[in-house]
Amino acid sequence: MDKLIRLIKIWTLWELFQGLGVTGRNLFKKKFTLNYPEEKAPQSPRFRGLHALRRYENGEERCIGCKLCEAICPAMAITIEVAPRDEDSPESKGEVNGAGKSHNYGNRRTTKYDIDLFKCIFCGYCEEACPVEAIVETRIYEYHFEKRGENIMSKEDLLKIGDSEESQLATDLEVDGRFR
Amino acid sequence: MESSAEQNIVNIEINDISLQVEPGQMLIEVADANGVAIPRFCYHKKLSTSANCRMCLVEVEKAPKMLPACATQVMNGMKVWTKSPKAIAAQKSVMEFLLINHPLDCPVCDQGGECDLQDIAMGYGGDQTRYQERRRIVKDKDYGALVSTEMSRCIHCTRCVRFGEEVGGIAEIGGTGRGDHMEIGTYVQKSLSSELSGNIIDLCPVGALLSKPFLYSARAWELQSYLSIAPHDAVGSNIKIQTRNGKIMRVVPADNEEVNESWISDRDRFSYLGANESRVTSPMVRNSSGNLVETNWQAALDTVIKSFTEIIATDGGSAVGAIASPSSSVEEFYLLQKFMRGLGSNNIDFRLQQQDFSAGAEQSAPKLELSLQEIETQNSIFIIGSDIQREQPLLSHRVRKATLAGAVVSTINPKTIEFNFAISTSVKTDKLTPALAGVAKELLSRGLGGDLNLEQLLTDGAVNIAVEAEHKEIADSLVNGENSMVLLGALAYRDQNQSRIYSLATAISKMSNSSLNIVTEGANALGGVLAGAVPYHSAGKVEVSECGVDVAEMISNPPKGVVLFGVEADKDLAGDDSAIDSLGSGFVVAITPFMDRLTYEHADVVLPLAGFGESSGTFVNAEGRWQSFSGAVKPLGEARPGWKILRVLGSSAELQGFELDSSEQVLNEVKALCDVTADKSEPEISNWSAPTDLGNIEAEMVKPIPLYEVDAVVRRSAPLQEQAKKLTGGVDDV
Repeated sequence: MDKLIRLIKIWTLWELFQGLGVTGRNLFKKKFTLNYPEEKAPQSPRFRGLHALRRYENGEERCIGCKLCEAICPAMAITIEVAPRDEDSPESKGEVNGAGKSHNYGNRRTTKYDIDLFKCIFCGYCEEACPVEAIVETRIYEYHFEKRGENIMSKEDLLKIGDSEESQLATDLEVDGRFR
Repeated sequence: MESSAEQNIVNIEINDISLQVEPGQMLIEVADANGVAIPRFCYHKKLSTSANCRMCLVEVEKAPKMLPACATQVMNGMKVWTKSPKAIAAQKSVMEFLLINHPLDCPVCDQGGECDLQDIAMGYGGDQTRYQERRRIVKDKDYGALVSTEMSRCIHCTRCVRFGEEVGGIAEIGGTGRGDHMEIGTYVQKSLSSELSGNIIDLCPVGALLSKPFLYSARAWELQSYLSIAPHDAVGSNIKIQTRNGKIMRVVPADNEEVNESWISDRDRFSYLGANESRVTSPMVRNSSGNLVETNWQAALDTVIKSFTEIIATDGGSAVGAIASPSSSVEEFYLLQKFMRGLGSNNIDFRLQQQDFSAGAEQSAPKLELSLQEIETQNSIFIIGSDIQREQPLLSHRVRKATLAGAVVSTINPKTIEFNFAISTSVKTDKLTPALAGVAKELLSRGLGGDLNLEQLLTDGAVNIAVEAEHKEIADSLVNGENSMVLLGALAYRDQNQSRIYSLATAISKMSNSSLNIVTEGANALGGVLAGAVPYHSAGKVEVSECGVDVAEMISNPPKGVVLFGVEADKDLAGDDSAIDSLGSGFVVAITPFMDRLTYEHADVVLPLAGFGESSGTFVNAEGRWQSFSGAVKPLGEARPGWKILRVLGSSAELQGFELDSSEQVLNEVKALCDVTADKSEPEISNWSAPTDLGNIEAEMVKPIPLYEVDAVVRRSAPLQEQAKKLTGGVDDV
């Protein structure tokens, strides 16, 4: 009996029509190919793109130079140098953000914060490790390098991205905040 | 009845594992010895038990409540659970209380990453706080230039308080107020004055006490540790030099129960900050117009060899000499003396501050007869001419421990010197010899003279020696003490009458059956003698045919060519400026890490020497312990380790036996010559005979060298200098 069914299937090209059915269904389905760059894919608020360093509203850098991101980075893409902040600056006296409860509170500041984008694997651990939400990953994924060395993002580059993306970053962090 | 052997064993069970332990121990000690981890903050193995953090609560069978493991003695049949649900619940509750007021600033805090509270909170802390009220904020205290404070982080473990009372010897820190208002601080607002104060940084289990110079410069996990030996005193404290990116970031103690226990002095801890100040980074040669100009190694070495060859050709080998720092390594001492003796000169010395050399080779090397640990067990200690607390802080700590165990200490010292331990008899004098002779005469009059032939010296001699009441007390304590020791310090060695003082001290120790312990300046004075960097003998006490001249003779009658090895001549040498300047009249080769006045004004060739932590080597500490160390960082600029410079100098001068590839090879050569086995030199027996006169009996005692003036590195350490200024109220002379 089985042999008979197999013979019928072979001679009626049953499996061929079965395969063509899949092709036909997809032929008339809604397309999900995008006409990049005219069209772009939607992004999650957790999207892990280019890095940025954020500031507080009063303009002070968030980063306190704790080096947790440097320590956790699995690709060792982050290099940080720190130095005590100038004792006489208004920031360190706590006049700017009201955080200064003693003469040396929050005194460590980065003098160098480099991310090597060739090494970075965009895992987002740096963002997760940061206790002050200073290093974040933006939604930016369109960038290129033209010269050797441009792959290393300096502190200034990162702060500039942070400044321009701040409103998007703040919204994304707020949306994602309740899951943290 | 149990037999006596069984009575000394207690059977207990920890976490259902039965153990047999000695009675009298605390639970936490037994647990530590058997690898059972119990969380703790206030307990420290070197400090008394205070049991006030309550973190080590454990469950004990039949005890109604949890008991603190640090304050519960083991008892027969005891059953303990450290990880039972009840114990864990108690520990978690304690942790919650401790975290109520502790600020959540770990990312900011320098202790983050090496913090006991952080580590233990990972295991026992909750993930949320139930505390809604305001956190306690405590005003920070000013502890001086070395220790930074952040008192809101304090959890009141009182380790620093107990350290001050029990180890530092000065109760400077204490707790004031109670409950929520308790604060740790100095009673009166002042800097810490203990020379061991930096240890409270290591003791503090949280980030309340931190190293001020290290503050915010690196994180604990970035540092690489290198074991080394502290180069500022003859204790040979074991240290860890911690580096980051090839730069020394800080120095912390390494535990060695036989040497420095868990402590190091502030001098050892903070001297690294001076290591790179005013450094010489490339070889320099003085040109025809009299200025030092930078050159390359080959040219500089050629100049040295050429000038030395010329001097020796015209005036013979004895026209050159070498003065080395007493903190040079054994390898450096050995190669330097080999180089000088190869050139035909025995003029080599490192005893920079000594004035009287009349005893010559008769004296034994400056060495402790006892081990550092044995000092703790002495009943009677007689300190002669030593500011021991400032000279050898951790040796002084051993003396202090002996006094706490009931030892009687007597001293003969200048008036200004005070100690942090109790002294029963103190002779405060400006003249050392008469006082010492008084003690010796008293011992002689008790018929202890034996065959030492001291009668002529002490009773029949031309000088009438007065025996005073204090001298009799000292003699009493030495004779009555079961274990008694005589300690001869740097002030006695720097005295104008050193040879007679040495003789009298030897006589006193022989008559009273005490051990004779000598400890002088520098990290490696004993190593210098063993490696042969003295005019009388080469390495391994091989006598030389013709004695060279000592350092005092070299200053007063300068050789035509002189090598200064690691010596900051104008500060390290005894004598006034003009005398020191005369040393510069000949051809001066300064092998030095630092640019100093004499080098700048007079040196003809300057060879940059590797500084602190930059070179491998070996120090022989005061008890004869050979301790080797390796370099932690690369030498700055063109500087090179001393043994390499001397090796190249030797081969350039076409001398034999300089084909050495590593400092270990040099060390093995010295060890073979000195017949050292097991890295420990045994006390030597010297042929001592009584002197015929008392020498310059009226010699005034020299002033002690201030705590932070002992060597070039310490003098350049800004925080130590700032601390010294604070302690003396701005007056430089202590």
